[in-house]
Amino acid sequence: MSFIKVDATSDFSFHNLPYGIFSTPDNVKHRIGVAIGDQILDLSVILSLFRGPVMSKHQDVFDQPTLNAFMDLGYEAWRETRKTLQLLLSANESTLRDDVSLRSRSVCLWMQKSIVHRLTQSLLGDYTDFYSSRDHATNVGIMFRGKENALMPNWLRLPVGYHGRASSVVVSGTPIRRPSGQMRPDQTRPPVFGHSKQLDIELEMAFFVGRRTQLGEPIPINKAHEHIFGMVLMNDWSARDIQAWEYVPLGPFLGKNFGTTISPWVVPMEALLPFAQPNTLQDPEPLPYLQHQDAYTFNINLFVSLKGQDMAEAATICRSNFKYMYWTMKQQLAHHTVNGCNVRPGDLLASGTISGPDPESFGSMLELSWRGSKNIDLGGGETRTFLKDGDEVTITGYCEGDGYRVGFGPCVGTILPALQH
Amino acid sequence: MSFIKVDATSDFSFHNLPYGIFSTPDNVKHRIGVAIGDQILDLSVILSLFRGPVMSKHQDVFDQPTLNAFMDLGYEAWRETRKTLQLLLSANESTLRDDVSLRSRAFVHQSAATMHLPADIGDYTDFYSSRDHATNVGIMFRGKENALMPNWLRLPVGYHGRASSVVVSGTPIRRPSGQMRPDQTRPPVFGHSKQLDIELEMAFFVGRRTQLGEPIPINKAHEHIFGMVLMNDWSARDIQAWEYVPLGPFLGKNFGTTISPWVVPMEALLPFAQPNTLQDPEPLPYLQHQDAYTFNINLFVSLKGQDMAEAATICRSNFKYMYWTMKQQLAHHTVNGCNVRPGDLLASGTISGPDPESFGSMLELSWRGSKNIDLGGGETRTFLKDGDEVTITGEKMSWLYVSTGSCKMDCNGCKVTVKEMDTGWDSDPVWGPSSLPCSTETHLQYCYIVFM
Repeated sequence: MSFIKVDATSDFSFHNLPYGIFSTPDNVKHRIGVAIGDQILDLSVILSLFRGPVMSKHQDVFDQPTLNAFMDLGYEAWRETRKTLQLLLSANESTLRDDVSLRSRSVCLWMQKSIVHRLTQSLLGDYTDFYSSRDHATNVGIMFRGKENALMPNWLRLPVGYHGRASSVVVSGTPIRRPSGQMRPDQTRPPVFGHSKQLDIELEMAFFVGRRTQLGEPIPINKAHEHIFGMVLMNDWSARDIQAWEYVPLGPFLGKNFGTTISPWVVPMEALLPFAQPNTLQDPEPLPYLQHQDAYTFNINLFVSLKGQDMAEAATICRSNFKYMYWTMKQQLAHHTVNGCNVRPGDLLASGTISGPDPESFGSMLELSWRGSKNIDLGGGETRTFLKDGDEVTITGYCEGDGYRVGFGPCVGTILPALQH
Repeated sequence: MSFIKVDATSDFSFHNLPYGIFSTPDNVKHRIGVAIGDQILDLSVILSLFRGPVMSKHQDVFDQPTLNAFMDLGYEAWRETRKTLQLLLSANESTLRDDVSLRSRAFVHQSAATMHLPADIGDYTDFYSSRDHATNVGIMFRGKENALMPNWLRLPVGYHGRASSVVVSGTPIRRPSGQMRPDQTRPPVFGHSKQLDIELEMAFFVGRRTQLGEPIPINKAHEHIFGMVLMNDWSARDIQAWEYVPLGPFLGKNFGTTISPWVVPMEALLPFAQPNTLQDPEPLPYLQHQDAYTFNINLFVSLKGQDMAEAATICRSNFKYMYWTMKQQLAHHTVNGCNVRPGDLLASGTISGPDPESFGSMLELSWRGSKNIDLGGGETRTFLKDGDEVTITGEKMSWLYVSTGSCKMDCNGCKVTVKEMDTGWDSDPVWGPSSLPCSTETHLQYCYIVFM
């Protein structure tokens, strides 16, 4: 265990060690940190301690304002770094533990409101959103096309996805303004302009790409893990009315790109591997380029809570799990690059809305309210179909170990009223 | 005019002055250049000469390896820079003209330079704004009755593209493999695409950034539109057809997208603006603007197969055919609060006009493979073959890929485009003998019209 005291219900146990970008009031420089308990270990201060065969030549990556350079180093670099961190933070290792001066310069308290933690915008290259939850795709299909034609013919054959907007991916805590746009609530009348009245959430998870590839070079599925760095939580805010009018035939656009929130700490895959379970059985069997046997489906408990302006406490509206995904991250990455599309460190690939088989595990208000036909109960007389101004939505998630957790920190956003025109 | 001699066959007249990123064998550093004649003016060498009220505080943007910082400065910075360039390159201005040492350091021959992507592209959006293209595709796949979707005439339909695979002219494009379902009665298969296609497009770069939540009102859109390039949005139709329902094109597009290296500033194009296409139904107020922002830019696509001696022109089109303007596209893109950053790329969508020879994709030119596109000498195509070299050129734009000269000006017999400024823009350019006596002045005057 670590010499840093970690509470048993903290997301940031010694078994996690996620990476993030932070700054402090006294030092506004963006720098790389690792979360442990309620502390952040500033890697820019201790970079000379990374002396292994790989990292001794690349210590400078920890002096960067983003994680991209570190991500680009690849799998062996991440493994060695994690080992070094585990050693340095170990209760049995004196290098950092007993060096009072070094500790005071490298370890700081995180939970104070005055510390801003951010995953800076320059981290992102491209953002892709998949659609890989069978229950979600089926629910949406039933709502809009009926039970007969719920899933499109391609859904069970390939991990359907689309390009998202990178510029509007923001870190947890950034307010989200209700979008305005064109909608056609009444198909018998012309479209109108106004603020969205069907503002929704989407519970998702996402992974960051690590080492880059060249254009024209697919990633074979047995090498996919070399390019999957780590994971965050995501809320893919959606404006259903704007989306419905625009999306045929080229897909969702303004109904999505007004804002997407991610949690600030990137949990490395090595921290999650102990929570892998066998993959969902796939029928029909996918084509060979999409086949892999090793378990890459993760038991990560996920929660969505909503707190309205007038509510004393948040109400949990969704309890789900990342294990419900039909397509794995390896399949998504292999598919994404099979045509030669190149990836870069910092690219973000999201899972799509995570819904399980039970109604309480549905990851969007569209599903929870079944297209607005029933109310989502928030307790104390409060209900919702879609979001109201002032609503604060919090997504949390963690893996439950034996006496410890590997968690993600919060993924929070509050809705601001639409701009007046 | 400039003290730099501009050959009559050059795309880069004194009235163009496009920006690009280049390097040379002796100096591999990526740096900003302006094309003039067959030269490149290296802005990193002359940055201290930008002494106007705006740029004197921002000379460092010309020391960058991309155009993003310069783009981010905004409209007044671009105007002032252009004025400075016009002054420095003027035949009447001695600052650069007579400084032999500075000139030798500041000018590089284009043949010695390697061109790179002009900007770091944060996001790439592709629109679908040609009515003829959308109608053709609709007829082919849904029949005449349901050709255009109900939303097409109401908003500029678009989707997010992949930024990582936008490459500069000259980059080879590998035929993609992927999942396809050529026979709907059998399971999908994996293999290389057999319907590799081109898409003639143009694209503009965003300049000054905006904040999340802040729409760009359409009357301010010009402050964020920096300049234009040509684009080939290579497409794999078979991969696209199987994947695209319901979330749009993905792997059928993101294996590669080519753009030309020189970004032509909007100020160079404004003299060639014409009234916008009449829109019916009238769009909602946030999409309305009266000022002319439709550009008469002649576009050509040629194809040269491995065994062909010369390229064949397969498409003659024009950017004026667009239904939605760039201002409408940008206002729509940000109306919901989506933010833009310098270097964002917004493409027009395939440019097709009403005539078959103006269709901007092989899908349309071959009408979904039902007829052959004639390349001459017995060669035909429906879709692309390995080894095919596709060149997009634009009159008034810099060239894309290998070009032996997009618009030839021949001194003997003077084949020039007959298009004086006062005849209006209704007719297409006509190639034929000039009615004016042959002289350098004549050529320079026509260069202004032809190569802007």
